[in-house]
Amino acid sequence: MKMTFTAALVASTAMTGAAMAGSHSETMTIGITQNNVGVDSYQTTYEKAFIEAAEANDMVEAVVLDAGGDVARQIAQMEDLIQQEVDAIIIWPTNGEAVIPAVRKAHSAGISVIVTNSNIAEQGFDFVASFSGPDNITQGSRSAEIMCDKFKDMGIADEARVVQISGQPGYTTAIERAKGFEDRLPEVCPNVTLVETQPGDWNREKSQQVMEAFLVKYDDIDGVYAGDDNMGVGALNAAKAAGREGIIFVGATNFSVGYDAMADGDYWGSIYQSPVDDAEAALKTAIDVLNGEDVPFLNYFDTPKITQDNMDEFTKPVF
Amino acid sequence: MSKETLFKQGAIWAFIVVELIFFSVAGSYLSVSDSAFMDFDNMLLLLKQSAPIGIIALGMTIIMINGNIDLSVGATYALAAIVLLDSMTWPFMQAMGDWAIPLAWFFALLTGTVLGAINGLIVWKTGVDAFIVTLGSMLGYRGLVFMYNGEQPTSHLNWTLVDFAEAQFLGLHTATWFLLVAALILWLVMTKTVHGRNAYAIGNNREAAVNAGIRVGPHFLWNFMLIGFLAALSAVVFYSESGSVNPNDGMLYELWAITAVVLGGTKLSGGYGSIISTLGGVIAIQLLRKGLGHIGADTETVNLVIGLILIAVLFLDRQLNRTGKEELKI
Repeated sequence: MKMTFTAALVASTAMTGAAMAGSHSETMTIGITQNNVGVDSYQTTYEKAFIEAAEANDMVEAVVLDAGGDVARQIAQMEDLIQQEVDAIIIWPTNGEAVIPAVRKAHSAGISVIVTNSNIAEQGFDFVASFSGPDNITQGSRSAEIMCDKFKDMGIADEARVVQISGQPGYTTAIERAKGFEDRLPEVCPNVTLVETQPGDWNREKSQQVMEAFLVKYDDIDGVYAGDDNMGVGALNAAKAAGREGIIFVGATNFSVGYDAMADGDYWGSIYQSPVDDAEAALKTAIDVLNGEDVPFLNYFDTPKITQDNMDEFTKPVF
Repeated sequence: MSKETLFKQGAIWAFIVVELIFFSVAGSYLSVSDSAFMDFDNMLLLLKQSAPIGIIALGMTIIMINGNIDLSVGATYALAAIVLLDSMTWPFMQAMGDWAIPLAWFFALLTGTVLGAINGLIVWKTGVDAFIVTLGSMLGYRGLVFMYNGEQPTSHLNWTLVDFAEAQFLGLHTATWFLLVAALILWLVMTKTVHGRNAYAIGNNREAAVNAGIRVGPHFLWNFMLIGFLAALSAVVFYSESGSVNPNDGMLYELWAITAVVLGGTKLSGGYGSIISTLGGVIAIQLLRKGLGHIGADTETVNLVIGLILIAVLFLDRQLNRTGKEELKI
């Protein structure tokens, strides 16, 4: 077995070298258990930004863990963080319901729990100090404003007709983004009609098919609102293939495909959601909670509008 | 027990001791936590966290002693979990109040046993290698999981159940009790019963076992039902505490279980292995995960380390067996 030990030791020592953090002192210890780093570039960028933000802050010692998408591992990590007596735990839930008992356990141990990016189910709200993440309703209503402003510029705000391609039915994100748009549009542009809404299931191909059907059904479509740019670009492809021009495409979250289409002048606008802002907001929320500051239960970070006009202020999304 | 078997079976425990020493020492320098790694509560937690993979790995040991393999356990685990949680929302079950809990457990365990029986029957009646059969059923059972509720999680949070699963009796968590009792029973089966002796005989030399009058087909069937049952038991233990199952839960569990079994010294070709050593293998893996988290290393590096160790173990195993053969020639 001697060889085995050596292998383990060599590998472990090599890793710990990089992981050396500051020494013990009177700082706050914050643990984070993430959903699945490496599965997409949003989460990878998030982790990098979180570690950088934690290292930049002398008062914070961070224990950064990743559940690898596995609920069992995330629950074990929660238990370990409780065992290590950290001051606060930030959790990016692998499953909004499965982690509730573990969150309750942390709460009963006197540890503040901050949920990041996507919230846990309502049954767990009692055990959570704060949720830090994007506000999907605002994203939807800002998309409505982007679309309305564009229609006003074009002088068609009194007669424009739009269709909506929503996210997967049943998902809170999809429901909220649709609601934000549907509520805000009549307020800013009362004469614009939302003709029809169909789900695109966050899927580009599905959205393309949905849009093809819309194009056959309606001769006059002035705008398309999609739950994210992935679906918006699917709809754009359908319109291009059908040779229909002059349609305004707006998404509720900017993806790199949408950014590229905006640069090409085919796609009008979207909402910019940065993983760096997401990570920094989560850490700040945790620090504020530990400092006893008054933090709103739903602590949203800002997701600004991005259109062809101001896109040079933003870097291309990593996802 | 010969010197060699003693060495082989002791190796995994020696490795665990080394891990404990390493993480305790490294932890005192690197960890941001003030509590020691060897803290008693932390060790209790270790056993509890070993349970989900551990219970499956116990069954995998017997399957592998047979010279078979079961790749479908992760999917069985997920399907049993769905039955467990969804059955509690059925109207007649809801009418029963908390008495629905034991019935839901029964349904889940039955699901696992039936899925295992399907594997066993196919292996028995077609004679196709278990690797291929269970590769197919792994995909098929996972398909069923996705058909049940699409991409969405299946959830039912029952606080009575959570309280039971979080309870500690004589200091040990509920999940630990399930793991230890299952290990004890299977250890007795493998060492004290005819079924256990037959398992080794079949794995050593199937021809010889058939000639000796062992009914190999039904024997396989029983063992596949057993591992199906254990995969479901693992789901029952774990999901009682978490109350929601993602459709991709349990993916790669088959590989972690096999890794634990191999670390424990069970031979891939069958005929040799021990339940207790598998328990050691499971604990070693969980210890590594926990330890690396404790000293602040990237949790994903655990895969690299386990991979290296696995190759080292197999290499060492081959070296040991080679010397054995040479000695016989003399």
